[in-house]
Amino acid sequence: MQPRRFIFWTLAPAFGLLAALALISIAGALYFSVMDRSLRYPDYDFVGLYNFERLFGDRRFLNALKISALWEIITVAGSLLVAVLLSVFLFENTRSATARNLICLAFLAPVLLPRVAAAFIWRFLYSPTLGLINYVCELVGLGQVEFLASPSLALFSVAAVDIWQWGLFFTVILLKLLETLPKEPIEAAQLDNARTWEIHAYVTLPMLRAPIISLALVKAVESLRSFDLIFVMTGGGPGTATETLDLYAYQMGINLGGRVSYASAMSILLLLITIVIFTLVWRGIRKWAA
Amino acid sequence: MGRLISRTLSRTLLALLLLVALAPILWTILSAFKKLRDIVTPVPKFVFTPTLENFATILLNPSIRDGLYNSVVVVGVSVFVGALLGVPAAFGLARLPARAKGEMQFFVLSLRFMPPVAIAIPFIVIYLDLGIYDTLLGLILVYLVTTVSTVIWLSVPAFERVPREIEEAAAMEGCSLGEIFLRFSLPIAAPSLFGALVFTFVLVWNELLLALTLAAENGTLPVVAASITSLGKEVPWGVINAATVILVLPPLVFIGLLMGFINRMVAPGRK
Repeated sequence: MQPRRFIFWTLAPAFGLLAALALISIAGALYFSVMDRSLRYPDYDFVGLYNFERLFGDRRFLNALKISALWEIITVAGSLLVAVLLSVFLFENTRSATARNLICLAFLAPVLLPRVAAAFIWRFLYSPTLGLINYVCELVGLGQVEFLASPSLALFSVAAVDIWQWGLFFTVILLKLLETLPKEPIEAAQLDNARTWEIHAYVTLPMLRAPIISLALVKAVESLRSFDLIFVMTGGGPGTATETLDLYAYQMGINLGGRVSYASAMSILLLLITIVIFTLVWRGIRKWAA
Repeated sequence: MGRLISRTLSRTLLALLLLVALAPILWTILSAFKKLRDIVTPVPKFVFTPTLENFATILLNPSIRDGLYNSVVVVGVSVFVGALLGVPAAFGLARLPARAKGEMQFFVLSLRFMPPVAIAIPFIVIYLDLGIYDTLLGLILVYLVTTVSTVIWLSVPAFERVPREIEEAAAMEGCSLGEIFLRFSLPIAAPSLFGALVFTFVLVWNELLLALTLAAENGTLPVVAASITSLGKEVPWGVINAATVILVLPPLVFIGLLMGFINRMVAPGRK
């Protein structure tokens, strides 16, 4: 077989399948979003942009939009901050390779956990009556804290679990990247009597700018999948304090009477926002990092 | 003296960090062996008579056994097909001109941008119309989006790192591209490819939303586990913890592999 034909046949099945499935779901969502289909009734009609109009007047939707944006910001910034601080700390304070590797193994464990499992583990820890964290809180005199039942705290409590998983994972990656950096610039800075934090702030971390940005991008994409964690931990509550867009779309489309069309309109908007933002960011980063 | 203090301080902080990383998991494992009355105590108990009751409840529960079976089938088949289609595609992609490769890689990555709800909701209706709602086949089909795209995304760098000289030498010997792929590139890239497959496995093993929406009776393990909370009046924490442990075990087995994978990914000399 000719090389070009061989390459074509390696690519065609995989990309054909991906394109077909992506097309079906997007075309399906677009089609249903201009209908008034619901799972309860078999027949449906064309309603134009009615679903979209209603969305913009739906306060619960606008709230979900806000919560989703907050969730993105908290988890992306939180994970990166944790990763940068901890990786520098570990880089400076662990000398033996074995100790460092063992710590890395421990830090990798959380991200491997299924989100459902992580959610249960932390619900158990957060529990007001029998949770370990609340026991510690009472020991230090904070009293009982309603981590998941308080509207102002719930989103942060769930985000902490996400950061526990991803922040520690990114710490390992950044630590490994720090190890691969050339030694000369660091030694030069040391000769200039730079403090340790100055070396990292001005020398090593700027050298890792490109990988840190790609980590941020990866995290931003993964943070869009907040559903599993929030669904198990709070179910979107208390009230709608932790209801992100995918949770609301799920509630609308599946749980509450299956208003498929309304949920489709919502997921189309979600898709549009995501694609526009990420394409812009992706192009911007490529230009900036190049 | 100051040195000693800062050393002790950093040691304490290190220990604390390890505690934060591992204690939640260990505590859950410990509690999976407790009777409910050892869990519901004002002061956490570290010494107790262990029991296997919780695991017995879990493993004898038919819905959990079905969930486990469904998970194994769905995840197994979708990762296998993902590898079958994705690995050759990654080999092909690695040989395309840079521009075409970049565009196609962006397409693969952009699939990951798609919110799962945006896939789930149209597929419910389509599956209901086709009669494959709540079947393993339906779940496998949507999981293929994740497995094929993840395998491709992670395998392209593995093939890019196969030394050009080996492939060129094989071509000089008269090997066709197919033979080069099977006899040289694939074995050389195999360790990295295995890492990619493991990562893909973990992603779909952990997936909840699609399984929750596209299946009712035939849910996977995460779906069944997520529904335990509503068993009876009292929250059966012992049972929940045991279910969590079972859910957690398969991905955790691969932790060493993931570590090796990261080491290779950040190793210098790439690009």
